[in-house]
Amino acid sequence: MNLEDVKVGAKVMIRDLKGKEEVIRRVEAMGLRRGRSVEVLQKLGRTILLKLNNSRIVISKDIARNIYVE
Amino acid sequence: MKSEEKNIKVALVGNPNVGKTSLLNHLAGTTLRVGNWPGVTVEKKEGKTFYNGYTIYFIDLPGIYTLEPLSEDEYIAYRFLTEEPPDMILNVIETPNMERDLFLTAELLELGIPMVLVLNMIDEAQKLGVDVDTERLEELLGLKVVKTNGRTGVGIKDILTAIVETYEKKITPKEIRYSEDLERLLTSLRESVKETKQQLIKKLLAHKEYLHEIERLYGKPAQQVIRENRFAFAHGLYNEVVKRKPITSTDITTLLDRFLLHPYIGTVVFFLIMFILFKVSFDFSKPFMDWLDGFLNDFVSPALGLALIELGMPDLVLRFFSEAVIGGVGFVLTFTPLIAVIYLLLSFLEFTGYLPRIAFLMDRVMHRLGLHGKSLIPLLLGFGCNVPAIVATRTMESKRDKLLVIAMIPFMSCPARLVVFSFFAITFFKNPALVIFSLYILGIVIALITAITLRKTILRGSLEHFVMELPPYRLPTLRLLFGVVWVYLKDFLYRAGTLIFAVSILIWLSMNLPPGVEKPEDSIAGKVGKALIPIFEPIGIKDWRVSTSLIPAFLAREIVLSSMATIYLAEGTKKKEEFSLSESAKEQLFGLLSATKEAFYSLINPLPRTFEVSEEYSNLRSVVSKSMDELSALSFMIFILIYTSCLGTISVMWREAGKKFALGFLIYSFLMAWLSAFIVYKVGSML
Repeated sequence: MNLEDVKVGAKVMIRDLKGKEEVIRRVEAMGLRRGRSVEVLQKLGRTILLKLNNSRIVISKDIARNIYVE
Repeated sequence: MKSEEKNIKVALVGNPNVGKTSLLNHLAGTTLRVGNWPGVTVEKKEGKTFYNGYTIYFIDLPGIYTLEPLSEDEYIAYRFLTEEPPDMILNVIETPNMERDLFLTAELLELGIPMVLVLNMIDEAQKLGVDVDTERLEELLGLKVVKTNGRTGVGIKDILTAIVETYEKKITPKEIRYSEDLERLLTSLRESVKETKQQLIKKLLAHKEYLHEIERLYGKPAQQVIRENRFAFAHGLYNEVVKRKPITSTDITTLLDRFLLHPYIGTVVFFLIMFILFKVSFDFSKPFMDWLDGFLNDFVSPALGLALIELGMPDLVLRFFSEAVIGGVGFVLTFTPLIAVIYLLLSFLEFTGYLPRIAFLMDRVMHRLGLHGKSLIPLLLGFGCNVPAIVATRTMESKRDKLLVIAMIPFMSCPARLVVFSFFAITFFKNPALVIFSLYILGIVIALITAITLRKTILRGSLEHFVMELPPYRLPTLRLLFGVVWVYLKDFLYRAGTLIFAVSILIWLSMNLPPGVEKPEDSIAGKVGKALIPIFEPIGIKDWRVSTSLIPAFLAREIVLSSMATIYLAEGTKKKEEFSLSESAKEQLFGLLSATKEAFYSLINPLPRTFEVSEEYSNLRSVVSKSMDELSALSFMIFILIYTSCLGTISVMWREAGKKFALGFLIYSFLMAWLSAFIVYKVGSML
């Protein structure tokens, strides 16, 4: 399953990140890494709001599509 | 004692939203200045302080998550740290998100530059049950660690002490140890003891054999292995020094977001906030601007004139000082309250954490236009005044988005244009409201055409993948807000103000030279106006008096009317009125009081007063109606709408986007204005 398909309110664990290297590097530096659990707080338009530890991160759905979770 | 030996250059580095600005405000106070990094529109803040006989210079680097140069911000930070390394890095960490922030710390430690680690927002961390063992952290990294609360300023003194101690005792952090195989390969590349880990890594990444070796050992690309080692370092360190107490506190951010980020309620709240922003910034500052203007022109100017007469100065010199210089200063100052209020309100929205949320909330509408969600604020402000609207684009991170919005703002029709429109529309048309409304729409259409054209040409680049952090809501202190506003206001007065002042003097000179000129017709401006007629004829402006009025109107569009009045009615000089210093001073004081009253009253009045237009120039009306017809009036209004006849706008554009962009835009707007007016005039003539 990828992050785009996760329902609002669900908590998931990140399994793998795919896609463009520079996008991966950016989201990883922001804390979205393999093994982290994230909660989907909200979906709005082409973006998704995530909660990760004590930070809130917005990513567009095209990035979320490349983040595999379980 | 040599002063050079007593300087310490410190760079502030940290993730975005870790409270660097607020710390810097405490550390450097009023010495804080803003500028741009060379050649780019990314903001640079600098300041200094004196401590223990040292002058400590602070340079704020852009907020970044990683030193790998991915975006402009990271590139600036990377280049600064590697090419002109500071004496010390002040690594600011948002303690509640310490593990994430330590990734950047790992990269910074690789540089081998002395470092002081600042655990900021320690109060928030405590509330979340994050407890850091600073002694253990100091011991593991071999550097000084300071706990601070950037809001209240707790721990600021400790930062200075730590900097001086680190400097005097030459404390250098311990080298980070990565995994065994990686370390072995790095060591084998070492040619001198001076080489930093960062240099070794760079060398390793340039060697094909080493890259293959790592891939063979770890089964992954080298880049990824190194990154994972940094993450492992951050993770390990975090677990070693942080004790987490399970605390279930109600999070105010979650609560507020439920409303402010709600697709419907949030949108309503946004427009409400926007309305208040608009109202406070324009209606509240307008009485003060008017008062300032009157104070300078009706009090300071005649008072100075009086003094110069006493000194026996010739008339032209006298008028130069009392009209051009005071007028120029006054013109700059009239923008000051507006700019100050906009900065104050925007900084408030930024520090509270609301601003990035607007980008999230409005993205679904704005991205369809190829624009960033944040661009809605500057664009809406443009209807109030283009100058602060362009200033407001500083909240946009990407240079491309910023330039795109700056190029759109001048087509948002402002009240200065409304004054001109209503004069002409009422004089020439049966249904003035419809004409004015169409002009507003035309402005928006031109803005969109401009944006599309720019996106397809010089500002190409894909709609960026949207990645952004939403910081928790925080209440900024007044001290921080006023500190920041003062810094930006200084910069505005210095950079845009000097340009506005200089050009306004040039324009005055063109109206008043050669010496002894009586009729506007004989002035330089008049001659230029006449010479311009061939250019304006195809758009229906055949009268030199109209084209000449455009020269002083470059200061601001509404001046077109007063200068037309001067030129048409040849009311060259105003009647000299009796001027009494004490009487006038009293009047000004009362004026200020009533301006204050009016400003606060306007806050209660729900309607925006910016759009109220008063009836003036009735004499001019009859004369102008004889020298122009409906079609040429419409053509002239379209020209005034699109051509950026506004010195203030061009000056802030110059400051925010550079000289080339500002001048290029001025020419573009002139061409677009001419072309639109030409089409309307030609089509109209055929009907």
